[in-house]
Amino acid sequence: MEQPVHLQRLRDIVAILIVALFMFPIAWWALTSIKPMSAMFNKDKVVVFDFEPTSVNYRVVMLGQSRSEIAIESGSTFGVGGSSSYDSRRTILDSLLIAIGSTTLTTLIAMLASYALSRMSFRGRDSYLNWVLGQRFMPPIAIIVPLVTMYKTVGMRDTDNLYLGYVGLILMHALINLPIAILLMKSFFDDVPKDVDEAAMIDGASRWQTFGKVVMPMVRGGMAATAVLCFIFSWTEFLLSLFLTTTIRTVPVKITTFVTSTGSEWGFISALGTAAIVPGFIFILLVQKHLVRGLTLGSLKE
Amino acid sequence: MVVQASNRQETRKLFALPRFLTAEHPFPWLLPATAMMVIFGIYPLAYAIWLSLHKRNVVTRANVFDPAYNWFKVLHDERVWNALGNTLLYTVIALTIQLVLGLLIALLLDSDRKGYSILRALMTLPLVVPPAVTAMMFLLMLDGSFGVLSRSLYALNLLSPAKPILANSSTALAGVLLADIWQWTPFMVLIMMAGLRSLPKEPFEAAAIDGATAIQAFFRLTLPLMSRVIAIAVLIRGIDLFRIFDYVKVMTDSGPGTATETLTSYSGRIYFTGEFTYASTIALLTLIIVIVVSTIFMKLFRVKL
Repeated sequence: MEQPVHLQRLRDIVAILIVALFMFPIAWWALTSIKPMSAMFNKDKVVVFDFEPTSVNYRVVMLGQSRSEIAIESGSTFGVGGSSSYDSRRTILDSLLIAIGSTTLTTLIAMLASYALSRMSFRGRDSYLNWVLGQRFMPPIAIIVPLVTMYKTVGMRDTDNLYLGYVGLILMHALINLPIAILLMKSFFDDVPKDVDEAAMIDGASRWQTFGKVVMPMVRGGMAATAVLCFIFSWTEFLLSLFLTTTIRTVPVKITTFVTSTGSEWGFISALGTAAIVPGFIFILLVQKHLVRGLTLGSLKE
Repeated sequence: MVVQASNRQETRKLFALPRFLTAEHPFPWLLPATAMMVIFGIYPLAYAIWLSLHKRNVVTRANVFDPAYNWFKVLHDERVWNALGNTLLYTVIALTIQLVLGLLIALLLDSDRKGYSILRALMTLPLVVPPAVTAMMFLLMLDGSFGVLSRSLYALNLLSPAKPILANSSTALAGVLLADIWQWTPFMVLIMMAGLRSLPKEPFEAAAIDGATAIQAFFRLTLPLMSRVIAIAVLIRGIDLFRIFDYVKVMTDSGPGTATETLTSYSGRIYFTGEFTYASTIALLTLIIVIVVSTIFMKLFRVKL
């Protein structure tokens, strides 16, 4: 169906406008992060572009400088105050460590489980898959109370032992991602015909060799996509990190502490927020091809 | 020589693993995943159920076995009903808007023309923003005095500066919904786009020959052919919406008063008062509703994930 040229033009314009509308909050956010306070809190008008860009917010949040130092250096003391708790270097490292740790763990465990679920037929296979799916839909809040108690008993809270605190949060993020990873990887394994395994085993390869040397290399792309999605889910997770940890602060939890009783630190919020979005953006552009499959737990393919 | 070889085979048999531990059996493959889900998923869940059967004394911090106490309290707690109402309202409104918008935008962007692939890629970006960051972003944009969205709404006379959107109990939920719709409409767009891509060409060609208009083709062909895709999208999104926590916690903290309190945020609030057993009960109630509704939905629409 060919559309007339003017209709096509109209469609182009509407499409660009709609996408621009969805990009606006991100752009506004990024713009706010380089605005000086006078531009953010202007009573008379909304300042869009006519301001002197500043790097103060990033220097405080990403480099850990104190705001008063910067203010004295630049000779302006507008809006000086507040402590150095806006330094987010530790937070970013915490978030990275937890995301990488949980992604690695989930990927390894899910790889094994999904191979068996795709390749072996056994009694209870369908119920097992349903059970995994059920785990995906469990509200995390339902297990928070017992978990905190469990961690307290074992001494795994971050206030008991910092290292075990990391382990505890990594395990929880891995658990939350596990159902998605298993179902998704299973759908990738299902794409490889079973004949491949049989041929390899007739040639004398063991199960492990078939798995590791024959099938795994064929689903490498799918594995990478799964890992990326797990990373993003862990990076953006809020509820578990909020309830389980006190000294370890992931980015989503840290950013909410920038709203204080004395006012919101717009500049720091937008700087950390912009920084927090970057890894996700890079990653999601890498896995565009498998995104639909990932978001529907392997049930829809593009 | 021969004897030695047979001996070796004998020993190998003696030390051979039981069959369920060999790589031919699914057991070792599934063991790590199962262990993980049992220890950190099933056990805490069972523990939560056990807790819900106890009355907790917040002062003495003692749990006393009293199976009916919390469940009776849930049914007679007006805040639970208020939270349930808010959760349902939130879920239904967000789901409807996201589905309709998602379908329309998918139709709009589903083109092979140059540049559309870039538009489609950009459209997925909101999905990777941490929900807590989205919430902060909209919190600032909806700020009563300096927020850019609030100011635009004031200028358009859609909102009065005297009643900031998030501070007013009749509009606060709409403010939170705005963040959710921004973040998750792209989810629907993506899935609907995949659905559109998978449509067979023939029925549409036949319809065009028979003189059907584009609108007729959409309602008679596109929608029915997409029903499975739509059902899957509604199911996944619906369950996630029902568990909504992040936006409410960050943007309004269930307020003003209890105007935006949802089941999960109410459970979280109770948790911080120290009445852990009651918090567990409310969380379990959420889980029960999710299970019941999604099971009915899956049976009704014959979808399986």
